[in-house]
Amino acid sequence: MNEMLMHQWQLIAGSSWPLLLSVIGFVIGLRIYNRSGKVSLLHPLLIATPLIYFTLNLIELDFSLYYQGNGLLTWLLGPATVALAVPLSQQLRQLPALFKPLSIALLLGGLFATLIALVMVKLFGLNDTILLSLAPKSVTSPIALGLVEQLGGITGLLAMATMVTGLAGIVVAKTVFQLTGVADERWQGLILGVTAHAIGTAKAFETSPRCGAFATLGMGLNGIWTSLFLPVAVGLFVS
Amino acid sequence: MKKLVVGLLILVFFHGLGEQGVKWLELEVPGQLLGMILLLVVLSVNNSLLSWLESASSQLIRYIGLLFVPVTTGAFFLGPEIAGQFPQIAAVLIGSTIVAQWFMGLVIRAVSKSNE
Repeated sequence: MNEMLMHQWQLIAGSSWPLLLSVIGFVIGLRIYNRSGKVSLLHPLLIATPLIYFTLNLIELDFSLYYQGNGLLTWLLGPATVALAVPLSQQLRQLPALFKPLSIALLLGGLFATLIALVMVKLFGLNDTILLSLAPKSVTSPIALGLVEQLGGITGLLAMATMVTGLAGIVVAKTVFQLTGVADERWQGLILGVTAHAIGTAKAFETSPRCGAFATLGMGLNGIWTSLFLPVAVGLFVS
Repeated sequence: MKKLVVGLLILVFFHGLGEQGVKWLELEVPGQLLGMILLLVVLSVNNSLLSWLESASSQLIRYIGLLFVPVTTGAFFLGPEIAGQFPQIAAVLIGSTIVAQWFMGLVIRAVSKSNE
C-alpha cells in the first residue's frame, strides 16, 4: 500500500515549471485547432508537441527533466482513465435490443483490429520492441498507455501510434462505410469508436449524438476487451 | 466546485483501488483499467454516485489531450533507429486501421441483417 502511495506522490511532487510548457503548447494548439474550424490534421497535440520539442532544443532542456516536471499531468491520466466509466455507464444504461449484434461486432472487430496490426508488424519486419509499443494502438490512449507500460513497450511511440491510427481512421471511414454499405449511423459510430478511439468518437459526435453514443460504447468496451486478450495475443507474436 | 473536488477524489480513490487490486490479485491489466471497471460496476448497481462524478469526469475527459502532451512529445526523442522505421510503422498503422474498419463493416452487415 505504502509503496503504491509513494510512487503516486513522487510523480506529483516531481512537478515543476516545465509543466507550463505543456499547458502553453496545448493552449496554442487548441486555439489553432478551434480557429481552423477543427480540421483533424491540426489536432492540438500535433501542434503542441513539435512546438515543445523545438522549445526544449532552444533552451537546452533535457527531455527527461521536462517529463519529470510534468508528473502531475502524467499522474492525472490515472483518474482520467477511471473517469471514462462515467460516459460508458450512461450509454450502457440505454443499451437497447441491439445488445447481441453489438457484442458480436465489438468482440470480433476489436480482436481483428489488434491481430491484423500484429500480423502487419511482422510482415514489415519490425522488431519486438516496436510490436509491443504498437499492439494496443486502436485502444483509447489512457488505457493503451497502461497496457504498453505493462508490456514493456515505448510510451512515446505508442502515443504517436494512437494519434496516427485515430487520424487515419476518421480520414478513411467515410469511404469504408460506402464500400461496405454501412449506412446506419449507430453502426458507423461503433466502428469509429472501436478502430479510431477518442479521435473517432469526437468525429462521431459531429455526425449526431446517437452516432457519438455508439462510438463511446465502442471505445470504452473495446478498451476493456482488448486489455483482456492482449497479453495472450502479443505472446503469440513476440519472437 | 464542491462537486468537482468530490468527484475528483472519487476518481482518485478508484484509481488507487485499481492499482492495489491488480497487485493483490496479480492481474495482467493496468491498475487504472481495473479502477474504471470497478467504478463501472458500482455505477451500474447504484447510480447515485453519478451526479457527483459528472462534472469532474467531463472536465478530465474534455482536456485529456493536455495530459498526453508530455508522453506524445516523447515521440520526438525515440532515437534514429526507430525514427528510421517510421515509414513501415506508418504503413502498419494506416493499413491495419483501414482493414479493421472494412472487416467490422462486413461483420456488422452480416449481424444486423440476421437481426432484422
